Amino acid sequence: MRSLVSAFGLVAAAAAQATPTEQQPPAPLYTAYVACESSDEVYIIDFDGKSAEIRAVFEVGYQATEIEGPHGLTIGPRGQFWYCSIAHGKPFGLLYKYRVGSNELVGECELGMFPATMQISPLTGLLYVVNFNLHGRMLPSTVSIVDPDAMVEVGRTVTGAMPHGSRLTRAGDLHYSCAMMSGELYEIDACSFDVTRSMQLDINRPKNHSSEAKPTWISPHPTQPRVYAALNGKAQIVEVDTERWLVKRRFATAKGPYNLDVSADGRSLVATYKTAGEVGVWDLAAGEERARIKSSRAVTHGVVISRDSRFAFVTSESKNADPGTLDVIDLRSDKLLATVVVGLQAGGLALLER
Amino acid sequence: MPSTTYAAFTLLAALTIGPALIAQSSKPAAGGSVRVSPPQLTLPIGETRQLAAEILDAGGRPADGRVMFFSRARRSLRCSRQGEVTAVAPGKHEVVVRAMFGRERGPETTVLVTVPHPAPAAIQLTDPPAAVFTGTRTQIQATIVDKDDVVRDDLQPVYTSSDERVASLDDFGFLHARAPGEVDLEVRGGGLTEELTVKVMANPVKRLNITCSQPRARTGDVVTFGVSLEPAEAVRIAEDGAGAPVPVAFSMMAMPDDTLGNAATGQITPDGKFVAEKPGLYAITATSGAATSTFMLRCDERFEQKRKLVKVGHGPVLDVHTSDLWVWEGVDGRDYCVTGTWGANGDAIFWDVTDPSRIERIATVTVDARTVNDVKVSEDGRLCIISREGASNRKNGIVAFDVTNPRKPERISEFNDELTGGVHNLFIHENYAYALSASRRFDILDIKNPRAPTRVGSYQVFEPGASIHDVWVVDGIAYSSNWRYGLHLVDVGNGVKGGSPSNPVKIGNYAYPNGWNHAAFPWRSKDTDKFYVIAGDEAFPYGLSTKDNPTYARGWIHFVDFSDLDEPQEVARYEVPEAGTHNLWVDGNTLYVAYYNGGLRVVDISGDLMGDLYQQGREIAWFLPTHPKGVVANAPMVWGPQPYKGKIFFSDWNSGLWCVELVADRGRRR
Repeated sequence: MRSLVSAFGLVAAAAAQATPTEQQPPAPLYTAYVACESSDEVYIIDFDGKSAEIRAVFEVGYQATEIEGPHGLTIGPRGQFWYCSIAHGKPFGLLYKYRVGSNELVGECELGMFPATMQISPLTGLLYVVNFNLHGRMLPSTVSIVDPDAMVEVGRTVTGAMPHGSRLTRAGDLHYSCAMMSGELYEIDACSFDVTRSMQLDINRPKNHSSEAKPTWISPHPTQPRVYAALNGKAQIVEVDTERWLVKRRFATAKGPYNLDVSADGRSLVATYKTAGEVGVWDLAAGEERARIKSSRAVTHGVVISRDSRFAFVTSESKNADPGTLDVIDLRSDKLLATVVVGLQAGGLALLER
Repeated sequence: MPSTTYAAFTLLAALTIGPALIAQSSKPAAGGSVRVSPPQLTLPIGETRQLAAEILDAGGRPADGRVMFFSRARRSLRCSRQGEVTAVAPGKHEVVVRAMFGRERGPETTVLVTVPHPAPAAIQLTDPPAAVFTGTRTQIQATIVDKDDVVRDDLQPVYTSSDERVASLDDFGFLHARAPGEVDLEVRGGGLTEELTVKVMANPVKRLNITCSQPRARTGDVVTFGVSLEPAEAVRIAEDGAGAPVPVAFSMMAMPDDTLGNAATGQITPDGKFVAEKPGLYAITATSGAATSTFMLRCDERFEQKRKLVKVGHGPVLDVHTSDLWVWEGVDGRDYCVTGTWGANGDAIFWDVTDPSRIERIATVTVDARTVNDVKVSEDGRLCIISREGASNRKNGIVAFDVTNPRKPERISEFNDELTGGVHNLFIHENYAYALSASRRFDILDIKNPRAPTRVGSYQVFEPGASIHDVWVVDGIAYSSNWRYGLHLVDVGNGVKGGSPSNPVKIGNYAYPNGWNHAAFPWRSKDTDKFYVIAGDEAFPYGLSTKDNPTYARGWIHFVDFSDLDEPQEVARYEVPEAGTHNLWVDGNTLYVAYYNGGLRVVDISGDLMGDLYQQGREIAWFLPTHPKGVVANAPMVWGPQPYKGKIFFSDWNSGLWCVELVADRGRRR
């Protein structure tokens, strides 16, 4: 999911409750949640279509003197809660649930090793989070399936080594992820929790779980039976036809494609190029990269496109003590519109839209 | 997915469901509901039952749609997506039955599944006495277990005696023997009854004399009391009559010097070991039947000469948090220290501390990391290894430096294979490095050629959710700290279990309830020849403030007597109120504790140990490092201590490297 949430109802209800003398300022058009993996912070940033500013910063985690690594973020379908995966645990990571607005912690749930990206299915109401498990030996890991109402894990599905890029179809019935070190694409039935199909994305089946392709992300097309996978190790994005279950097109990219998002209108794909420190904007019909934009910092990481297909929000990690950033790119001009400096190693990203 | 998966609702032919129950447990979306059969159930452990569900529209008519089932307690109640539930563990568990229409989440209901405890199968008595003596007290320990010998904690045994004039039982199972005779004791619970006949014998003790291991003591001294019984043959009589010695109970009355509302002031164990916390006079009484004897013991202030810690030098680090330290003598004979940094630029800082009053920062190395949590130097002073967390490529691990010239550390290798998740702590011992791998295990690396480390072994606690935090190696034994799984002692070359670096073998372990085990330091007391592993906690129940405000940590030091490797016993603690422990070090009979917000603490651990050393006045001195321009201004947050050449170096999270020394406290504060 692109974490695009319609909070309109929520905002409208709040406005209806306000008396004429208690006029609230208009809610921002877009609110970005940015996880800073090495400073254990989440930044909440408002963007009004022109400029962005930090509304709140707060710390997450429970073992304070260790880097706990908030990694994945998503927002519930009704816009009432936001969720954050805490990658490092003792040793298992956690999922935290916060109330939108007050940012009150309302629930938590233990997951597997290094839980990372996640999304909630509008169909099942369940949250699907990959246990990235980049620690130690490369073994098949899992996708945890969580009931976010009760904050309990209700299922766990085994996939490949270092699963990443947990994304669902718009209908919410199929879950896709890729296994970075075993080089596979996995499809899970969101209702049965079963793996229904998998595909080897390396040309040659990797030995000892050391994929050359290193797929790091998956993004389903909103209207067509397609998913796009970023092959971080091959500087490629592949388009997989999910009806015929084969790779249909390959796009050469800059070095280190990492995260992807497809616009809601289905026309554009935005890719972060982690190694190159750039962002690529692709015209999917033409199969061409129509723009390449330098990130404001090195180690470009996450991307989410607003539901109106107007803006791409991009995080960059940077290195060492240099803080990360949130960049906002105007997808009409394909220009960098705004940059906000955040905490260390900015990665996970979710977007709440009015 | 085959539609049959979701066809459970078709299993329903005719349902008779209590409408009240549905109203209580379901959350139907507008326009429909889910009806489940059975709407609730009781399921014994090991049994399976199929649930069936039907979707109803707003008018209560069957509607098309898909249904999924899931358990909200899957480890206690398994549930397939098709609604087959299997009971695993007792409790009240929920199964959610959720409808899905097209692309939307539909109405749902919740089925409450009660899994009862297995029926009680037996009442087990632990070492019940056959005979007791008048005027004594003996506990009858009873537990109620099910057929699998699992204790039914939810059931409390009830004790009764057939003749309370002979012996009575209280609510806690203590048998109070009053008069010679015989009684039938009954323990009831869970519908079961266990009976026991106990003979009450006349107490053979006519008199007893209490003895003490020393005429006078200091607070914190462990004093041993004993008794001699009269007549002398009382012991033999007891052995012949009851098969056990006649019990003697010890009690204490304190008369502290400070009578102004002072708190509890001492402790005596059932076997007569006593320790005083406050100076004063203590009446220790031994009792058996009608015979009693009292010993008056004077306990003085522990230290006649007070000491204090004074600053010798400070190497300020005021822009970033400082982590661990290591002080060593360089190959050139000068003294050096290396400190790490936390949540920052991946720096390790080298210092010349030859003159600790003029600590000189001499070099900084930077690696791809945000935190260099641990730093260690080899015994020969030539190799420094630092840990990495928060690498930009998420390939953490360790980095080795040649520190033959600490003013110009030369980076010679890095190692991250299977350490990519982050190395939080490490240790160097006799050509091997011990590095933690992502909180799961410690790996053992051969560093004979430090330019090309190789992994030769690893050790992991294979328990559910086990997580390691630290490892420390002395004399071929690795002492790992594993949070709720506590201390693990591992033979990595000592030989006691035939272990080696490539074949680490567990020697023993000990865990304590709070689950905060964070650090460990082995120590053999020369005074008592007891072998302790001293464990430190780490806990932040009120959070950690990285800037602006001080932090209020918690936790204490645990003294675990490992003299019997198979039967370790936690015998003492050192707990500073309102503060929290971090790293520790022992030199001789002195314990040095980095007590985070409680500063640096120096503690006398001479002699035998029992009880809370802090309350006993065993603390020698404390020091609170502060700096107005610290990362958090004027907030002590001591990370790690290291006594070295008569001084004490320590790192402070907010202000850098410090050196202090112990001096006589003559009471002057200016």
